Amino acid sequence: MNGSRAGFWGAFLTLLFLAVPGVLAAMGSTYGFRVATVCAIFVILGVSMQLITGVAGLLSLGHAAFYGVGAYTAAKLAIGAGLPFIVTLPAAGLMTALVGLLVAVPTMRLVSIYFAVATLGVGQMIFVTLLNWVSFTRGPLGIPAIPGIAIFGVNFSSASGTYMIVAAVTAFAVWVAHRVAHSYHGTALRALREDDQCADAMGVNVPRTKLEVFAVSAFLAGLAGALWAHSTGFVSPTDFRFAESILILAMVVVGGLGSIPGAVLGAVLLALLPEALRFVGDVRQIVVGAVMFAAILFLPRGLLGEVPTLAFIRRALGAGWRAPDGRVLGWR
Amino acid sequence: MDIFLVQQLVNGLAVGLIYALVAIGFTLIFGVLNVVNFAHGEVYMLGAYAGLVLAVALAPPILALLLAVLAVGALLGFGLERIAFRPFRRFRDEASLKSKAVREATLLSSLAVSIVTRELVEKLAGGDMQVVPSTLRLQEPIILSEAFGISGPLGDLVLIDGQLWILAAAVIMFALLQLVLYRTKTGLAIRAVAANPLGAAFVGIHANRTVIATFAIGSAMGAVAGILIGLYTADIQPAMGFAPGVKAFVAMVMGGLSSIPGAVICAILLGVAEALATEWVAQGWSELIAYAALLIVLLLFPTGLFGAGRERV
Repeated sequence: MNGSRAGFWGAFLTLLFLAVPGVLAAMGSTYGFRVATVCAIFVILGVSMQLITGVAGLLSLGHAAFYGVGAYTAAKLAIGAGLPFIVTLPAAGLMTALVGLLVAVPTMRLVSIYFAVATLGVGQMIFVTLLNWVSFTRGPLGIPAIPGIAIFGVNFSSASGTYMIVAAVTAFAVWVAHRVAHSYHGTALRALREDDQCADAMGVNVPRTKLEVFAVSAFLAGLAGALWAHSTGFVSPTDFRFAESILILAMVVVGGLGSIPGAVLGAVLLALLPEALRFVGDVRQIVVGAVMFAAILFLPRGLLGEVPTLAFIRRALGAGWRAPDGRVLGWR
Repeated sequence: MDIFLVQQLVNGLAVGLIYALVAIGFTLIFGVLNVVNFAHGEVYMLGAYAGLVLAVALAPPILALLLAVLAVGALLGFGLERIAFRPFRRFRDEASLKSKAVREATLLSSLAVSIVTRELVEKLAGGDMQVVPSTLRLQEPIILSEAFGISGPLGDLVLIDGQLWILAAAVIMFALLQLVLYRTKTGLAIRAVAANPLGAAFVGIHANRTVIATFAIGSAMGAVAGILIGLYTADIQPAMGFAPGVKAFVAMVMGGLSSIPGAVICAILLGVAEALATEWVAQGWSELIAYAALLIVLLLFPTGLFGAGRERV
């Protein structure tokens, strides 16, 4: 690991684990910790969306449904089976990855808007199921009293404790997304985004590559759902409707399609902006729509565009493989 | 045959015709620009609001009301094209007119415009259902045995005058659209731009003006559909455009994307299927039918049920 790489990750982790909680603890603000937790959850959703929509170029309009599957899996396992957080978190991720694969296998053939509308259809189907399968999901009433986060008997359910756990999972999710997007695998995804037939001809296994990235993305969304369920203690279908999918999409578009740091920045911005504008009332959706429109019109590449970001990442924290003969291959 | 089933069939037909009116606008715009207009559902919603405001304020006869809403819809289409589509057609050549980047930029921009519109309406007029005065509602039941003296089992069938208005409006507007498309210069220009924008420009067709005309016509039909169903169901609220918008899109895909008659037939099929499904499953679950139909058609009949040629999906 070279110097700038350590410096970059060090800065990111210091901000996540020391600066933000330090400032919030100094302010003694439970509300601040809650907002930071929601921000971190949306960062996970943002990078998860970025993998399929930005890097693989598959516009998804149903991402909130995966988030919902994760949240309901965690809630049902925690309440119905009494499983601890340490089990429900990965279980929610795996369950969502499985659902993602089930969705992906038939829809991988579709391109551009047909894929977008297919994901919209799947997302709505999952939403309608959550809303109407009353015997299992309690329908619009939602599932209350989900236990807070506790690991091996240590209680993290206070606002600051929850934030620290969520931040740890967020760091993990960003690292996974970084490793997927900035590798041979990510390069293959970018190739098939630009022209899947050409990528196929060059030897990229297009369906398999898409399936893999879809599963990873759904897994991360499931983790975010489990964190949401355990941190708020309550899940209901309205948290996972179409508007949430659009919110996640807007984060990725504003941050810059194809850029993982862009997704992080976009998620933090769009999660904080409505909070900052609370004094004018609940304008969350209007802000999301207006910011997204402005971004498409004036900043079509996003705040942290893909090309300069990739160049930076390549230079500063490139991740190569060491071949048996000692050469470093790939991203350097 | 069970009379309730026939009754559901009739109700489904009415819903299907509304989807068809929305789908025509969708298909028209898709055919010309090759982009999905996500704000179409909001035009439908605004048409219902504008119609309701006009009807409450002036109480015009229904035909005058429909014509006024038609004009409002055309204006909305003009504005929508200006805001959400024109800025992204910076280049005129065919490659960029049909390119992926433009397609996705306009998809996202129309999505953003639709969210902002819906939320602004919610902020200004409230998120609840608007009160539709009972004199304005198109909910007068017509019992066949009394109105037309039909005896036998069909006599128990109940029509609602709103359904007749919807049927009449759908037939007239569909006929008018065919007339405009195949008998006028504007229609010729629309068809030319839909077939080949660059070629149309070469023979002297003003592409921008044609696109505006398409938006005006398509949105006018959407707005009329909005006020008709608003008065028929007395359900006028900011989120009313989402479901018909999605279903119209489904109908467009099922019908083969650029075929207006195909979209109309599929929209009617969807409406009937949803109404019949409520015989066996709860109301909430019947929502699944449109989405399931969408997936099945995309996966099994990628060129649509009526086999129109199209590019790779």
